[in-house]
Amino acid sequence: MSNKLNTIFFFSLLFGIPLLYFILPEQKISVDEKRKLAIVPAFNYESYIKGAWADSVDSYVDDHFPFRTSMVNMAVELQSWKGIHLKEQEKIFVSQKPKVDKKKAEKDSTESEMNFLDEFEQAYSGSMLIINGSVYPMGAGSPAMSKHFSKMVSEYAEQLRGESRVFSAVAPLSSAFIPVEKYKHYNAQNKNTLKAIGASLSNGAIFCDVFDEMNKHAGEKMYFSTDHHWKPIGAYYAYVAFCKAAGFEPVPLTKMEKRTKYNFLGSLYQHTLDPSVKNNPDTMEYYIPKVTTTAVRYTPFGYNKQSKSSVFAHSASGGNTYSTFISGDAPMMRINTNVKNGKKAIVIKNSYGNAFVVYLISHYEEIWVVDFRYSKQNIIETIRNNKINDMIFAMGMYGAMSKGTINMMRNLGKQSGVYVPQKPSVSQSKDSTNVVPESSPTDTTTSN
Amino acid sequence: MVFSSLTFIYLFLPLSLIFHYVTSNNLFRNLTLTIFSLVFYAWAEPMWIFLMIFTAMFDYSMALLVERWRGHIGSKIAVTLSVIVNIALLISYKYGGFIHDNLSYLFTLPFDRPTNSLPVGISFYTFMVISYIVDVYKGELKAQKNPLNFLMFISLFQHLVAGPIVRYKHISDQVDSRTVNWQTMSDGVSRFCLGLFKKVVIANVAGVLVKKYLDVGFDDLSSYEAWFGITMFSIQLYFDFSGYSDMAIGLAKLFGFHFDENFRHPYAAISVGDFYRRWHISLGKFFRDYVYIPLGGNRKFQLRNILIVWLLTGIWHGASWNFALWGFYFGCLMIFEKLMETYLAKTPRIIRHAYTLILIVFSRAIFYFTDFEKLKLFIANLFSSNNPIGAGFATDIFEHLFWFILVILFCIPWDEIYSNEDKIALNAQRFYTNAKPILNVVMLFLATLLLVNSTYNPFLYTRF
Repeated sequence: MSNKLNTIFFFSLLFGIPLLYFILPEQKISVDEKRKLAIVPAFNYESYIKGAWADSVDSYVDDHFPFRTSMVNMAVELQSWKGIHLKEQEKIFVSQKPKVDKKKAEKDSTESEMNFLDEFEQAYSGSMLIINGSVYPMGAGSPAMSKHFSKMVSEYAEQLRGESRVFSAVAPLSSAFIPVEKYKHYNAQNKNTLKAIGASLSNGAIFCDVFDEMNKHAGEKMYFSTDHHWKPIGAYYAYVAFCKAAGFEPVPLTKMEKRTKYNFLGSLYQHTLDPSVKNNPDTMEYYIPKVTTTAVRYTPFGYNKQSKSSVFAHSASGGNTYSTFISGDAPMMRINTNVKNGKKAIVIKNSYGNAFVVYLISHYEEIWVVDFRYSKQNIIETIRNNKINDMIFAMGMYGAMSKGTINMMRNLGKQSGVYVPQKPSVSQSKDSTNVVPESSPTDTTTSN
Repeated sequence: MVFSSLTFIYLFLPLSLIFHYVTSNNLFRNLTLTIFSLVFYAWAEPMWIFLMIFTAMFDYSMALLVERWRGHIGSKIAVTLSVIVNIALLISYKYGGFIHDNLSYLFTLPFDRPTNSLPVGISFYTFMVISYIVDVYKGELKAQKNPLNFLMFISLFQHLVAGPIVRYKHISDQVDSRTVNWQTMSDGVSRFCLGLFKKVVIANVAGVLVKKYLDVGFDDLSSYEAWFGITMFSIQLYFDFSGYSDMAIGLAKLFGFHFDENFRHPYAAISVGDFYRRWHISLGKFFRDYVYIPLGGNRKFQLRNILIVWLLTGIWHGASWNFALWGFYFGCLMIFEKLMETYLAKTPRIIRHAYTLILIVFSRAIFYFTDFEKLKLFIANLFSSNNPIGAGFATDIFEHLFWFILVILFCIPWDEIYSNEDKIALNAQRFYTNAKPILNVVMLFLATLLLVNSTYNPFLYTRF
């Protein structure tokens, strides 16, 4: 009897689970993993011979396993049963991901995705420290790479001499502020890397000493524990550093509206799936300047296609909490404010810049936000056509620490884009003169 | 394809079982099993399937010639030719690059370094066909007349990728016809679930620690961490390999085959010799029967024979000098134990056990590091590291505490400690008999959870 039961129970799982693949609705994306799930692979001889078809079948079976998300959560719980979890703990997380096959990735990805892999690889494919539920990268950039970044920024300063001021506002990594004595050397290393940017800038490019400003508040929690971004307060100190460099008076936090979001488990939790990180969700306090704004975002290839957007997406929650700022990443965005001072800025940024940009609305009438990873627009044209006063490179350090991403920023000034504003073609002129529709929405979530 | 993949467990295995049991016709079963085995083999690299089919058909033909010409010189020529061709294929595909690298230090070679990947399972199926043809030549078994049956034997997915090295004479009757009942099915299920559990819940977890301590920044390790890392590799290697063998044996039972045991609690060994009577038994027996004894065995040049067998065993594991060194290391230990046999016999059992474990764990360093510079540095760290204990070592120990206990429980040879008549053994047996339907489902479920978890591949930025 026991033998029969043993066999029947086993076969029930063995045959039952494959049936669920057909019964359950097919998922297209995984929100937690922020990626598309594999699709049913089409068979062809060439891909079969190369083994690619088999890989695709494996990926499909893996990605669509019944109740996959719940099973991953249960697996995380199961992993925590391996032993005892100390209250005070410090450990090193080593990514088990295979190294990215650059050749394959090159084949599969667009150019911008490829360079973006460089950034990703540098930041999070190695080891990370997990201290009492907070994740920190084990690195601090390199002064040698800083020079490459400064050279690129200085080239823009030269090109825009007399037209626009060019600022560099690069944030340190969270490793700079690890609250454990033996990791204090990362503070000095971050400082050296960022100071090297300032020391190498030329042609009148202006250095914003973000490190110094943040270091004054080293005891505060300026980065998320479970996400690779900085907290709004960290971005605020960078904004203060920028104001000092730009000659603006920073708006005090007390003059902004404060809101709070709870239970944010961000990318570093998704990356490590560590129980101590799970038990240490972030609370995000963010500050809303008292300015009325309208915003639109554009597709990678220019102005022709646009959609309404907003400076704050207050509904962003869960794993997407950081998308509260400028509604998440977009290739290009334009913000108009009721600050009628005629000043315009363009911010070249990676996702760190999102939390920084929101403070600038108190100082500019118009702000262009360009994500160097996705935008195909020529920013020199954009700056000249729109008579933009300030160009600000605002990003997390790893954006400035890869030749790939530096070249992407350099290419922003060289690439052709598709925007040709004054062409006499009827359709194009119509598009370009209606960059911001008259009826574009007011960001109703900001308070006046 | 590997057994511990979701594709194998929940796609390939159910389909192959359905086709196997849809009829009791043996020809159909052998045909479908062969087709499934070829699909299994061709999953990652389809091109190598032709090499395996060629090997099978060549040896099938040679064995028929050996039998037809028995008693004549032709028989000897056929067996010699077969062995030479098989060894030549193994050398050219597995060791071609290695030989080229070494010869190019001495000479300017007129040909480029071979760039082929290693055909999956070639080390295993080459030894299987050699044992087959030699056994036919020695008259210990009749040559298989049906090429389909022989191809099925060679290509059986249950043993194809990582053994055990199955001797044809042990399963020749099952190749022609097999019977399965609830008992064998149930045994197969239990064994497969146990193997999967060992591979996924123990070996893979150990693998994470191995990567952490032996791959990433291994040169900064303290001695404690170095020993910990190499111990984790010893655990990973054992549970990976024995788990795979368990799954192979279990899967074989599900299809009516009975494979011999390949592991017998090796970490309970009390000498290095004892260890290798418990570790990868099918490989040890192959070298004993087809190399050691023909060389003279215990009768003449025993020490030389031991050294040759162990150098070959080392090289069999991989095309790199560290494997030769590893083989030489064990050859020397075997000789040492032969010479010190009487003294060792008088040594307390616990001391012998500790001595064996230390030497075995140390040998894993030679096995792990293919780069001699790294090996040198690592051995220095094992014995005289001035590095402080790194961040997270204590956390790793505490966070794996229950898992360590599980590992130790799995390493203990309970069946050797308690005889079948022992009351504890009887009670345990009774409990297991009643609980195994649940236990196996739990083990399969837990392993599936971790396998699904390993497919989790998050990105920092949205890639919709």
